[in-house]
Amino acid sequence: MTTNEEATQNKTDRERATAQRRRDKGTRKSVLLADRAAGWGITAGGLLVIFAVIGIMVFLVAVALPLGGGGETLEHAEYDLPAKQTVWLNADEYSTLGVRVADDGSYRVFHLTTGRSVSSGQLDFGGERATAIGGVLNRDRVAFGFQDGSIRFADLIFEADVLLQSDLPDGAEPLDQRDRLAGEAIYSNLPGEQVRRLRFRAETQAPVAVADAPIVALAYRVGGTTERPTRSFVTVDAEGVGRLSRAISKLNIMTSELTTEVRTTDLPPLPADTQVTTVELTTLADTVLVASDAGQIFRFDARDFNHPTLSETITAFDDGSTISAMEFLNGEQALVVGGSNGALDVYFKLSPEQGAAPDGYKLVRARQHEPHGAAVTAISVSQRSKSLVTEAANGEVWVRHSTSDQVLLRYDHGGKQAVDSELLLLPRVDGVVRVASTGEGDFWAFDYPHPETTLDAVFGKIWYEGYDQPTYTWQSSSGTDVFEPKYSLVPLIFGTIKATVYSLVFAIPIGLLGAIYTAEFVHRRVRATVKPMMETMESMPTVVVGFIAALVLAPIVETWIAAVLLAFIALPMGLMLAAFLWQLLPLQTALKLDGLPKFFFMFATILLSLYVAYNLGPAFESGFFYSDFMAWTNGDIGTGTPFMFLVFLPVGFFVARWLVHRVFGDRLRDYQRGLTKSHAGALDFLRWAGLLAAAVVLSLAAASALTALGFDPRGGVVDTYVQRNALVVGFVMGFAIIPTIYSLAEDALSSVPDHVRSASLASGATPWQTAKWVIVPTALSGIFAACMIGMGRAVGETMIVLMAAGNTPVLDWNIFNGLRTLSANIAVELPEAPQGGTHYRMLFLAGLTLFVMTFTINTIAENIRLRFRKRAFQL
Amino acid sequence: MSTNTETTSNHAEPKPGMNAASRRYTTDLTATGEPFLWGLGGALALGILLVVGFLVLIFWNGIATFWPKPIEVVTLNSGTVVAGEPTRDNVFKPGDGLLERLTEQDREIIDSNVGFAHRVLYRTGNYDLYNEDFRWVSDFEIAKVETPPGMYLFERQEWGVFIGRIAGLVLDGESRNLSDYDRAAIQEQQEAARERFEEIRHIERDEIGEVNYYMEQARLDLKRVALDHGRDSGEYRQAERETEQQITELQREYEQLAARAEAIKETDRRYRITLEEIGGEQKELPLSEIVRFYPANDLSPFGKAAVYFSRWGEFLTSEPREANTEGGVLPAIFGTVAMTLIMVVFVAPLGVITALYLREYAKQGRLVSIVRISVNNLAGVPSIVYGVFGLGFFAYTLGGGIDALFYPERLPSPTFGTGGILWASLTLALLTVPVVIVASEEALSAVPRSMREGSLACGASTWQTLRRVVLPRAMPGIMTGLILAMARGAGEVAPLMLVGVVKLAPELPVDGFFPYVHLERSFMHLGFHIFDVGFQSRNSEAGKPMVYVTTMLLLALIVLMNASAIYIRNRLKKRFAGSAF
Repeated sequence: MTTNEEATQNKTDRERATAQRRRDKGTRKSVLLADRAAGWGITAGGLLVIFAVIGIMVFLVAVALPLGGGGETLEHAEYDLPAKQTVWLNADEYSTLGVRVADDGSYRVFHLTTGRSVSSGQLDFGGERATAIGGVLNRDRVAFGFQDGSIRFADLIFEADVLLQSDLPDGAEPLDQRDRLAGEAIYSNLPGEQVRRLRFRAETQAPVAVADAPIVALAYRVGGTTERPTRSFVTVDAEGVGRLSRAISKLNIMTSELTTEVRTTDLPPLPADTQVTTVELTTLADTVLVASDAGQIFRFDARDFNHPTLSETITAFDDGSTISAMEFLNGEQALVVGGSNGALDVYFKLSPEQGAAPDGYKLVRARQHEPHGAAVTAISVSQRSKSLVTEAANGEVWVRHSTSDQVLLRYDHGGKQAVDSELLLLPRVDGVVRVASTGEGDFWAFDYPHPETTLDAVFGKIWYEGYDQPTYTWQSSSGTDVFEPKYSLVPLIFGTIKATVYSLVFAIPIGLLGAIYTAEFVHRRVRATVKPMMETMESMPTVVVGFIAALVLAPIVETWIAAVLLAFIALPMGLMLAAFLWQLLPLQTALKLDGLPKFFFMFATILLSLYVAYNLGPAFESGFFYSDFMAWTNGDIGTGTPFMFLVFLPVGFFVARWLVHRVFGDRLRDYQRGLTKSHAGALDFLRWAGLLAAAVVLSLAAASALTALGFDPRGGVVDTYVQRNALVVGFVMGFAIIPTIYSLAEDALSSVPDHVRSASLASGATPWQTAKWVIVPTALSGIFAACMIGMGRAVGETMIVLMAAGNTPVLDWNIFNGLRTLSANIAVELPEAPQGGTHYRMLFLAGLTLFVMTFTINTIAENIRLRFRKRAFQL
Repeated sequence: MSTNTETTSNHAEPKPGMNAASRRYTTDLTATGEPFLWGLGGALALGILLVVGFLVLIFWNGIATFWPKPIEVVTLNSGTVVAGEPTRDNVFKPGDGLLERLTEQDREIIDSNVGFAHRVLYRTGNYDLYNEDFRWVSDFEIAKVETPPGMYLFERQEWGVFIGRIAGLVLDGESRNLSDYDRAAIQEQQEAARERFEEIRHIERDEIGEVNYYMEQARLDLKRVALDHGRDSGEYRQAERETEQQITELQREYEQLAARAEAIKETDRRYRITLEEIGGEQKELPLSEIVRFYPANDLSPFGKAAVYFSRWGEFLTSEPREANTEGGVLPAIFGTVAMTLIMVVFVAPLGVITALYLREYAKQGRLVSIVRISVNNLAGVPSIVYGVFGLGFFAYTLGGGIDALFYPERLPSPTFGTGGILWASLTLALLTVPVVIVASEEALSAVPRSMREGSLACGASTWQTLRRVVLPRAMPGIMTGLILAMARGAGEVAPLMLVGVVKLAPELPVDGFFPYVHLERSFMHLGFHIFDVGFQSRNSEAGKPMVYVTTMLLLALIVLMNASAIYIRNRLKKRFAGSAF
């Protein structure tokens, strides 16, 4: 059918249709509807991407935000207990019950939130009143000292067991939403139709005579194993005599009789007229600290139980104030000292290199917390964290966190003066109990989820327990309870930057130079093979690269380190040498070999240079690094001269070149013009050799001069060698980002319009001149963007650094040391971080930091790239 | 243009007064920039060399791993005899202490090699006897090396390989004379024993596993009733009765199965083999414990090839053993493929729709540039950040919500509220969506304007034009994008470590139990397998061959996907290419 016929046919059809009925010219409803729906759907879908980006950011922020947020007081209850001199407080694990022990041995168990009395009883004090008290950190084992110089031990124990809801006794009286009271027990609702029964039990043991005079200060610790506990205690009596005692209980298996043997040794006498206020003892019983009202702390070294010695005496406060309260933070690494001037300082027992006491230690004031307005009267420390609560004589009750040096919550007890009150921070750090001798009881329940983190703690230096000075440290977890988490992101950010910098040092030269060569100097067909190959490498799983890096490359580099370092010199040298030799070729031969053959010669040159480096490696090591590279990096042998010489070599070369060209440049060139190519090449070769010699002389002089001035590169970018190090990471991660940089830079270069290229070539410029003065400057912003995007990839790369970087969060630029990046840190720690905890949120903050870093880098790169593209199109 | 070029061209001009006919071509080597060209070319060559070297390293090691090596028996100077497969060799620097103990002659050799000595790593196996799998033997220690016949390599179900000889055989409870049984006969027995082993495993894992599954289901159903109606309700009591009955039934079934397994085990115990290592120490074990054995030094090339392919077969079709360092990677292959496919289901619509929006719907303006910036940022966000987001948002927030709504009876152990294949796929979909967007956009823009206009002129609506004209034409390009996204997704490991990849997943995400596809389950992944075996196993040296093969497999998968994508792209370019300068 011809077109004409078709048209006619159509026409007749249409006429017929019109004849039959009036044709509906409108579009069908369903089509319109589909069109509209698709339009909406697609627009919504398109905008979803924006929401995805914003959503990720918002979510990360939302999770990380509570880190900086404070806490809140959930409730405050006041109640009255019998007016008695309170000596000890304890509460159960679940913040349900409290027990107050008075100096006459009577105790009362009360419900914390309501103050409702649950039970009461009497410890066997033999009618005496306690004059001193000491207890373990968990507060369930207590020792009381008496007027007659005797000691009694008591256990104040909360027993918890879980029952089914159906076991709840009838007639239980509801106290609050969770708890019910029945008999002398509290029943708390648990999820899953269960209840927890809590009861209190107290036991007193027979008195042990220790001193002749009334005991004024007492410290008590229980060490050893659960089966064979070692109870140690220190007493100071009214005559100022200090005694260290150790009680070992043995259970006779035959008679099941418990015998306690107490051994006591006298501490060296304190200076006369010393009024002891408090004593402290470590669980191992190797250190005794005695505080006096003159503001002095006496530290006794009791590692030899039979011969304790006075190691050190310090004055706690500069103004000589009395030490009114003193307590170990949990872990017994840090001593909190409160003064009558309201100051609250923390001392660490460190072993400094200088100024140590005879036993090698020294008490150092590490932290000065915000002072109270009046004398500190009581300190209660947390059993699980570095939180504590302090009370001052003016009625202030402050909940603090020692590591992050902040006052979390401030309670003012209605301006009332504190009268002999006892203070207790609940085991879960979710409440404070205060009972005054008047019987006034206060209970504050609070929620402060992340006391460890402040802006200062995350990004600033903190003086952690056991450290000699404030540091940036990341150490998020450890096996023990008494561990102080260290959440400084600085080492991780530093590690990220270090890895990025070293990998860019490798990747940028190879990626960019290779891209320029591909775009400007190779045949289209070579380019069509090379580029897809490099692009395929871009999607190479980094886990594979990391595996090769860590298990194959790292050991090789370690064995052949000298050869590897030599390769950095041999490669450029070999290429230069080959280039100058190439210039010696007659013009015709050179032209004939141009293109692919020349490229193969380049390959050969590289292989040859690597082979030379491999063979000369040991000689290089003995010549430059005194035959032992590892020992050299440690700083054990030799000087820094040879290394600096190597570093200065390229610098020296460029300086020499600049100088020579300044003076002889034009003359040399003019002379060259008169020669044939081979002769000119020979001249150029000589010039290069001369420059090289000059460079050697220059850099040797510079290196020797610097060594003479006492400068040594070791300790900075070169230091002790570790197998998984930044050199390997830089090399391998560089390898992983080369394709990105290469591909994007090549895109930028080849999108410079061809007419620009043609114009330059037509004006007589050589391809090299065209590339150098026309193409690269035009594409410069695109090339820069390529580097930025490569950098973005390096910043976020995880698997390679995780496997090859050793993951040590250290702050040094040493190329032979490991590092830990933000990304590797997240990968290692997030699976183990409990949801919602400080650690979890800190890792989200690390993720957010990464996100922000890459977002910034990418946005800048993208803007540059867009601008470049606009410019390239305008050309 | 800079002044320098101008000077150069000035110089090139003939000097005034010179005859134009006798113009001389001058040499200016700075213009050619030969050293610089070599620098540029050298960089490219180095880059290519690195890439090629990298691929060769992996493929060579991957391909060679399963080829049976000879077993060398090395007699040391000290009289000790070591038998093992030479695995690799290297040179090392002996420490001063070691050097002192050497003979003068050895020291001279080392000195002539500038302080380096050569050594070979032997895979000695017999971990249960030696407490190590590998042993370095330095050249100066060796008295003689032989490859005697009759040395066998046994791959065992547990304890890794055994290298030694066969010292005894017990068949059906009777000790047999070894001379009556040649290798083929023993092999036949071993294969029969292996079949018994497989059957025991089938009963214990699959059939008893099924019974356990139904028991657990019954308990969960009961718990559900308790949650819905309370423990005191009539429904609960009835359900309790039913459940009890069901469980008793299942228990009976279980006992039957266990008895059947025990019977086979009883038979199995009567077939045993005694192995003897080179030092003469013997070890008796059930024949079924031996997965594969061959006389390493007596094999013909065909025999070696048979072992080689049998190992590949095991690798591709079975489950890992020995803490993933031996056996196969089938679950990992399955997990990788399943996750990638689920990912595509999510990423395809999202990516294509966004591309459609950018190309066909949006008016170029501020909004579009914001979308573009977002796309580029999505592409630039580190993969681990997606993992963090995936864990926090998908697993904990979304998954936690799903658990609270639909699976309250399983709490507090999470169902969807922890990492799983669904969340991993979603996370990776987010990660790879930019790839699809960019590729789809390219494909859409390659559709000539005239085709759209033609369609619109015929009266088609925008959507009709898109659906009938533009999309079909752009489809190959979009497919390219999807394949690239799959390649990217299949190679990502870091985010998966947070959202559901595990070292060993006993249950695949697809099985015979309703609803057959379990998207909440954690899974194994080839990339993570590499990390795990290479870095977290007992002996990374023992796992190395496995890592190489797995790496090769993963790499082959990804290179294949990329190559096909590039192939499609190039073909399209040719087909649609206009005139280019």
